[in-house]
Parts: sequence; structure tokens; C-alpha cells
Amino acid sequence: MEEKNSRRDFLKKGLSTTAFAMLATSQANAFSMKNPGRDAKNPKYIGQVGKHFVMVLDLRKCIGCQACTSVCKVENEVPDDQFRTFVTETEIGEFPDVRKAFLPQLCNHCENPACVPVCPTGATFKREDGIVVVDNTVCWGCGYCINACPYDKRYFNKRTKTADKCNFCAQRVDKGLLPGCVETCIGGARVFGDINDKNSDVYKLLSNFSTTVLKEAEGTKPQVFYINLDSKVEELFSTTQSLDDIVKAEEGFQREWMKTREEAQSNG
Amino acid sequence: MDSVNTIISTITIAKPWGIDIPNYFWFTGSSAAAFIISSFAHVFGWEKYKPIAGVSLLMAFVLLVAAPLNLIDDLRQPGRVLNFFMYGWENFPTSPMKWGVLLLMAYPILIFFEAQALYRPYFVKQAKKGGLLSKLFTFGNMDVSKEALEKDHKKGYILGAIGIPLALAVHGYTGYIMGAVHANVMYHTPLMPIIFLASAMVSGTGLLIILIPLFQRFLSSRKKVDRDMVATLARLLSWFIVSDLVMRFLWLTFSLTFGNGEKYALYSYFTLHFADTFWIDYVLCLFIPLVIGFTKLRNIPVVVYFGGIVTAVGVWIFRWNTVIGGETIPRTTPGYLNYTPPAFGQDSIVSVLSNWGILFALVCAVLLIFPWDEEMEDCYEGVENAK
Repeated sequence: MEEKNSRRDFLKKGLSTTAFAMLATSQANAFSMKNPGRDAKNPKYIGQVGKHFVMVLDLRKCIGCQACTSVCKVENEVPDDQFRTFVTETEIGEFPDVRKAFLPQLCNHCENPACVPVCPTGATFKREDGIVVVDNTVCWGCGYCINACPYDKRYFNKRTKTADKCNFCAQRVDKGLLPGCVETCIGGARVFGDINDKNSDVYKLLSNFSTTVLKEAEGTKPQVFYINLDSKVEELFSTTQSLDDIVKAEEGFQREWMKTREEAQSNG
Repeated sequence: MDSVNTIISTITIAKPWGIDIPNYFWFTGSSAAAFIISSFAHVFGWEKYKPIAGVSLLMAFVLLVAAPLNLIDDLRQPGRVLNFFMYGWENFPTSPMKWGVLLLMAYPILIFFEAQALYRPYFVKQAKKGGLLSKLFTFGNMDVSKEALEKDHKKGYILGAIGIPLALAVHGYTGYIMGAVHANVMYHTPLMPIIFLASAMVSGTGLLIILIPLFQRFLSSRKKVDRDMVATLARLLSWFIVSDLVMRFLWLTFSLTFGNGEKYALYSYFTLHFADTFWIDYVLCLFIPLVIGFTKLRNIPVVVYFGGIVTAVGVWIFRWNTVIGGETIPRTTPGYLNYTPPAFGQDSIVSVLSNWGILFALVCAVLLIFPWDEEMEDCYEGVENAK
């Protein structure tokens, strides 16, 4: 009887300690409908209230120099072989009626983003100034947002092991600077600003030129607008089956070549 | 005439879901199917399925205990699991993943309690002989009077009845997760949850066709396979294949023929993968087992086992083709993504094999702990007495 009681005591004490410890930990990470940063009204999470940032890409001015691609990697410490923005280079037509067409791509900071509502941890959200961001201290890396993005503009950052994407260089914008890619665009193809400000360049461009967005049918209402976008370029994407692009040339083909070489060697 | 358009350079974006995800879908689907088959006896009262109902329930349980490990392995930050429970609840209505994790926790608990109600009298018997674990699983209720057994039966019935929608939901939500992704032409159809359920019934029945004869032949006291049951399951499998084919027919005919602009991407995918999809997934893994179940071939156990294996494998391939295949389709960058699962590490071939190892260990554990053999024997005796 004595022994039984002591065992029961032990169980009781053990259970209450565990319960207390669990309660204490959950108190430390308070339960939230959103995420801790947003609850704390951290300016990084709230953004610039009253503004609405958009980007206009004037394709008539893009020369495909990839300066935006490189500066973005430096500014945002994007790991090797990963990109927040890049310029797709295509050729339309055949000699002598031929031209190059470039398509700079980045997160569209959609008005109605497909990635945000599916996030199960509240790590990704839209700031009040329209910038869609990822809190890489909360993201658990399930990848649902990456699959949900119709533009393929999210990826797993190799270094942080969380979903990552273009954030319009919010760290710069909040200090009154332009995003890196806009600052460095030598042709002036990338224009960034607050659409609510009627004196802004983006407001003037959107008012004076006809613009279009990528994949309008997705209903995401992108906030990156293109001047002179050629529908043939978009059509190419759904019909091209294989491609010697950078990643494949560096990783895929090299591996295949190595395999072939090994096979050739083993066959003498 | 079309102009000549050429891609010169671009980036192919890597996608998040790897080999773990098709494996996870296969596990939850097969679990749902095993649960439904056990409910044929426990809820609908079809005596024919009574002898295998208990084992099916146990298989549903182990599959669902092993399944979520795939998800944890697929997470890039598995240490942040708590964040799921703490944050982001405003997305609850729009994030099927949020529903899924709750379902995944509720469902195995329900199955466990249903199995406990079913096996309690047998646990009592073993506990009286001194089995410690058995004593634990009686939950202290040693009463085996007629009223008590009736109460167990009723409890099993109620849990089974709640379990059916729960089983459908626990697998249906995986299809919902996919169907909700409008960015992916392969995933985006409201039929996806139904297609997933239909193919799940196929893989689950295929799995039981392989496992039940193995248990009966090598682990039970009868030491012989119930050939009638094998034939019954083969016929049931054929009906499930019919429903699966109908769903896939509706899906593909609509999306490939009458779909919007995205149909071109889907069309290019199926042109690229015509041989493996058509000959392996459809002809070998669906049509042949369909024929086996609907003809006299179902009376030859070896042929039925073959059918069971190919359907189980075929549905795994279908999950792979849907999840991984869908991810390889380009969106705003041209060219298909190449995906080969890594051999080691997270989300790799070895991690999936390990998951199967865990499943095997769990199967052994429940077969050792639960007195399934005795219960199955009693059911067979009941059927024979009724004759």
C-alpha cells in the first residue's frame, strides 16, 4: 500500500510539473491570430500606413543587363543559384524580322495574394502599404505559399530554410530609399513608388500608359505593372518543355554528363 | 502563322514538395480506405466483412500514426512545429493545412478508442491470465456481462459512425489542399478531393488484399487464407477502380478539352508523360486489376495478390505524378523542372523507406498487442455457426 501511494505521488507530481512547464512555455509564446511581430505593432511589420507601393516595368527600356538580378542578390543576401528577381531573355521571330524580348520578373505584391491566406503559421502577410513579406523567424517551411504563388516567385532560402521572396527591399523603402533593383536599373525600366501619391512617377505612368499584369486570370490583382508586355512571351512559358537554362546547365546536365562519362569509363 | 519564339535564358524555380508528400498522401488515403472497409461491418453491419474488420481498423490506425511523420520530415524548420499551433489562426478558414493538422490529431485517437471498444472483451480475457498491457487497455473495465458487451458494441458503432466522415475528411483535406492551389494547373480542380478519395479506396483495398492473407497464412491460428474473402476484396477493388476511373475521366476530359488557357500546359505535360501515365498508371495498375476482380480470375489468389500489389503501387505512382508532376509544370518561367529525390537527408528516398520501416514496426506492435487473431477466429466461427 505504502509503495502504491508513493508511486501515485510520483505520478501526480510528475504530471503537475509537466503541465506547469507546458503552460509556462505557451505563456512565453502567447497564442496569436496573426504573429508576434504584427501583434506588437512593430513598424517593420505594419509598414507605411496610408501608402501603397507598386512597381511599373517599362519593357521598352529593359535591355536585359541583369543589373537588377545581381544587385538584388547582394542587397538581400540571396544564396547562390537562388533569385528574388531575374530577367527572362527571349527572341521573337526569325532573321531578318527578329527582336529580343525581356521579361523582368519579381514578386507581384498582389492585392489579393494567393500565398498569404494559405499560410498555416501566419508567417507571410501583407503590410498596410501593400508589401507582401515573410517573417523568417516564424515560417516553419511547409512550402504551401511557394506552391500557391501563380508566378513562381517564392522559394526556400537555403540559408534561412524558410520561404523567401522579393520584399520590394522594404528595409530600404522604410528608410526612404528605392528598392535595389530600381536604384540600379540603368535603362530606367523599373519605376517604384506610392500609387496614392498623385505626384509620384508610378501614378503618372499608370495614368498615361496602358499597362498590363502577368496572369490576370488568376485573380490575384498584381501590383507590378508592365508597359509593352508581349503576350507571345507568356505563351512561351506554357509550351516550352525543356530548356538549357542556367540551373539545368549547371546542375542537371553536368550530373548527366558525369554519369555518361562514368558509364563510358566503366565500359572501357 | 506562328512566329518563332525562342528562350535564351531564364531561371527554373525549385518547388517545395518532394517525395515525402506523395508518400504521405498514400498513407492517409490507404488509412481512410481501411477504416471504411472496417466500417462495412462495424457501422453498416455487413457480416461478410466482419472477420477482417478488426485488422482493417488496426491497419487504418498504424497508417495514420506513421503518415504525419512524412509531413514533419518535409518541413524545412521542423523545430518550429509549435508555431503552427500558436500563430496564424486568422488564416484558419482559408488554409486547408490548418484543418488537416487538427484532423490528423483527432482521427487516430478516435480509431484507437474504437479498437479499444472492439477488443476490450479479449483484453479482459488476457488480463485475467496476467497480461499487463492487456490490463491497461481494458481501461479498468473488467465487466464482460452481456450488457457491458452491448455497451462496447454501441460505443464501437458510434465511434465508427463519427469516424466515417472523419476518415473521408482526413484524406479529403489532402485533395482539398491541392485543389485549392489555383496556381497549379494539375492540382486546381474541385474534383481533387473526390479523386483522391476514390484512388485512396483503391490503394487501401489493394494493401489489405496483400496484408490480410499474409496475416491469415503466417500469423493467425488458422494458418490458412480465406480465399472467399480474397475474391470478395478483389471484386470490391474493381468497383473502387470503376469509381476512380470515372472521377479521373471527368477531371481529365474537362480540364484537357474544355479548360481555359491553362489546358495547354496540362496538355504539354500529358504529351511529355504519355507513355508512363497511360501504360503504367492506367493500363497496368488500373485496367488489369479491374479485369481480375470482375472475372473468374478473382478466384485465383495469386492473381488477386498481383492485382493488389499493382493497384497499391499504381496509386502511389498516381500521387507522385499528381504532386511532383504538377510541380514540374512551368508557370512564369519556361521549361519543366527536373526533380530527382535525393538519396539521403530530409525529404529523401531513405527518409521514405524509414517511414515504411516505422509502419512495419507499428504493424508488428499492434499485431502483438491487440488480440486480433482471437477476434477474427470468433468472427469466422460466428459465420460458420450461422451457416
